Amino acid sequence: MLEKKGCILCVDDEPNILRSLTWLLQRDFEVHTASGAREALDLIGRQDFDVIISDQRMPGMSGSELLREAARLSPRSMRILLTGYSDLPAMLRSVNDSEVYRFINKPWKINELPQIVSEASAIARSSGISETLLVPGPEDAVEDSARAFSETILVIDDEPAVVEQLRAELGPELPIVHAGNIADAIAAFAEYTVGIVLADTRVDNSDTTALLRMLKHQEPQIVTVVYTSAADAGDVVNLINQGQIFRFLAKPVKPAVLAQALAAASRKREQLKAAPQLSERHRVDPIPEVARQSFDRSLEESAARHAALSDPSLLERMSAGLKRLFRR
Amino acid sequence: LNTPAGDHADTLRAAGRHNRFRLVPYFTAASLAAFVLVAGALGYFQQQQDATFRALQAGQLALVRNAQNDFTTHQDEAARNDLLAVHEAGNVNLARIVANMSWERDFAPFVARAERLPIEHCRTLPDTVDATTGATRPGPEKKSCFAEIGRQLREFPEFTSIDARVFAAMAKSTVFKMKVFDLRGITVYSSEHAQMGEDKRSNGGWRGAALGGEAISELTFRDRFSAFEGIVENRDLISSYVPVRAADTGAIVGVFEVYTDVTPFLLHIRQATTDLRRIAADNQALIEAAARDTEHRLGEQTLRTLLFVMLALAFLFIVLFVIIRRAAGIMAQQERERDQAQQQLVQMEKSASLGQMVAGVAHQLNTPLAFSLANVQMAHQALENFRLPLRFAGIFARLVRSAKTDTVTLSVAPARKLIESAVDADFDPETPKAMLEDTLHGIAQMRELVDNLNEFTRIDRSRTTRFDIARCLSNVVYIARSVMPTGIHVVEDYAATPETSGNVSQLNQVFINLINNAAQAIDGPGTITIRTSFAEGRIRVDITDSGCGISPEHLPHIWDDYYTTKPPGQGTGLGLGIARAIVAEHGGEIAVATKTGPESGTTFSIYLPVTG
Repeated sequence: MLEKKGCILCVDDEPNILRSLTWLLQRDFEVHTASGAREALDLIGRQDFDVIISDQRMPGMSGSELLREAARLSPRSMRILLTGYSDLPAMLRSVNDSEVYRFINKPWKINELPQIVSEASAIARSSGISETLLVPGPEDAVEDSARAFSETILVIDDEPAVVEQLRAELGPELPIVHAGNIADAIAAFAEYTVGIVLADTRVDNSDTTALLRMLKHQEPQIVTVVYTSAADAGDVVNLINQGQIFRFLAKPVKPAVLAQALAAASRKREQLKAAPQLSERHRVDPIPEVARQSFDRSLEESAARHAALSDPSLLERMSAGLKRLFRR
Repeated sequence: LNTPAGDHADTLRAAGRHNRFRLVPYFTAASLAAFVLVAGALGYFQQQQDATFRALQAGQLALVRNAQNDFTTHQDEAARNDLLAVHEAGNVNLARIVANMSWERDFAPFVARAERLPIEHCRTLPDTVDATTGATRPGPEKKSCFAEIGRQLREFPEFTSIDARVFAAMAKSTVFKMKVFDLRGITVYSSEHAQMGEDKRSNGGWRGAALGGEAISELTFRDRFSAFEGIVENRDLISSYVPVRAADTGAIVGVFEVYTDVTPFLLHIRQATTDLRRIAADNQALIEAAARDTEHRLGEQTLRTLLFVMLALAFLFIVLFVIIRRAAGIMAQQERERDQAQQQLVQMEKSASLGQMVAGVAHQLNTPLAFSLANVQMAHQALENFRLPLRFAGIFARLVRSAKTDTVTLSVAPARKLIESAVDADFDPETPKAMLEDTLHGIAQMRELVDNLNEFTRIDRSRTTRFDIARCLSNVVYIARSVMPTGIHVVEDYAATPETSGNVSQLNQVFINLINNAAQAIDGPGTITIRTSFAEGRIRVDITDSGCGISPEHLPHIWDDYYTTKPPGQGTGLGLGIARAIVAEHGGEIAVATKTGPESGTTFSIYLPVTG
């Protein structure tokens, strides 16, 4: 008998799904099942799981609600949400409330799922950190002022107004810098020690998700908050699975809500800095070569456009930023 | 699902059509009635005014006529009195002249002699009383007695000369007759001899003159009169009794009576009066003509005014009619546009619920699909893993077949390496079998779903069919459940009901709409109960939710088109209106009972008649 790679809990109201998952995972893992949230929470209370996989749609308590409870009861367990169809609000809740590790779409791929689960299980087992570090404190306990931010916040957004709003909300001495395009954003890393990135998914007509993915892969301790109006459920799935964003906010929200999200991000950043091994929990896959090339092209275009137009020093600063970020 | 959206729009339209305000006919009728009323009132008041005017004019005319009559009559009377006065004076003078000239010489002795004739025997003779008038007249004996006295008087010797002288003096004058009376009242002389001897003691004129000493005159008309020149006819006469006084003593000694002819003067007076009357009549005619003219002109004026008012009213009516027609046209146009917009909204409503349903069905389908796919893939993999065991089995089978004896000695060394990678599970056919069984189960689920979908939409094949309400509802519930939040518990309680006929596709739309509404009314966990019953020839379907209920301010409006409490873009506000129209089309009714606050909830009840 081989040593099992972890102890996992599958939750779904459909017994056929549970059986199928069991058949798929039982070879490598110790699989437990629960047919509802209630039963799952009972099990979590009694036993320590490395990974919890839950269906989103269940009678009574939904999957995201269950995972939020699970995060509280067992912060060490990695959380995976199984989603059947796109329900954007539910997904946003699961991102912001329960900090899921991955979304997995039904139907799952039988060679992919065990791999993700085993990654998650390895993270859960390897991080070996004290439980207390992981317990998310109450949101309102966050000190909503500029002093809570020791490092620079990089805002990547078409509108500089966001910066002003945040200054008005959190104090004028808030260390915050605005980048209106990707080249500016890269350049900013050369000048500042960036702790938190607040980004729209589209800036200056180019997609920022590749940047966010690379950033998270390269600098897992940087905390990312996405603030956008152009998003569907698929985008959220990608941003979580590939960019491990910390919070997802649908534009527009009140400046106070934005400030609160940033404060939580700051707290997360402090956590990650204090315990660098924690960032393993937010590990993302390396970006595929095709996507990297496409990102490089858009970066070059952006840099060329803006350097020629306004800022000759941009190219220099940008290459410094690239060097610092990606060591190239 | 594929019934044309226009159907429901038509149904909704038809529901609103019977109470539509028909502007043009109502306006026409009302304004025409008003105009007729105004015209009638105007005519009536005008008539009243005309009558008053005519009465006033007639009164004025009568007043003028009376005044003129009075004036003429007065004038005539005054002229006659003047005539009488003038002629009396003339007669008195004449009598005096005659008396002065001939009393002492001729009449005094004659009268003295006459006075000596006894008359008392005649006076004692009886009078006759006229039966009709009551007046007393001398009887025939009395008359003849006095006539006898007259005859004696004429035989007096002085008579002939006196008579001749009187005739000579009076011929060719206006004096027609002259009489002389003694103080006893006896006619002692008369130019008409036959009258001599007559007793005039009771005559007013004589008494006035003889006893009162005053001249008394009167105007009389005689058709036949014996005058100095003979008999005259149709004469107006003034007769004056004039007392004769003695020259020395002044005592009354006798009475003259003189008749003078005033016919020409009276003729003049009459002529004047006639002229006056004619002038008055002419004036009257003129005034009346003027009045008539005034009235006529006034009438014309009135007619013109009335005509103008009528024309103005007619013009006003035409102008208003044109405006109203235009407004009605615009309103009809707007209504058409609204209908069109409504049709689009009905279509939107349909596609919205369709989209929701598709999403639900997709999710419903996704679950069996997910595990079936995974199971088949895993079973496939397991089959791959069976390659090794089956190879061993094959080798073993060949070995057994080729073995000459029952015992074979086998070297397992080469196989040991192959077996190393295999796990126990690879030799267990039960797991892939269970996987495929589950897959069959999943396929059955998918098939059930497809069947339900087919059922849900099958009515497109024929619009009206016979159906069982419970089957229809369970089908709708199956579909609806897939889009419902997971915390909602659905209870189905179907009684035995007879089959009925109807458009199931439309009714499905009603039920799914009501069930979706029920689900949306529930926040968090809750229950939806779908119950059927049958009573009094009608099927009753109750869809009850444990939701928040409908607040009293919304309740009266829930059936109104476009009324929605959902945020803009999330509901057309047509759902319940369409539901009611569809139920009404099936000859049924839909009712709602709701409660807010604690133990809140809403029940929609649909009553459908059982039809062949």
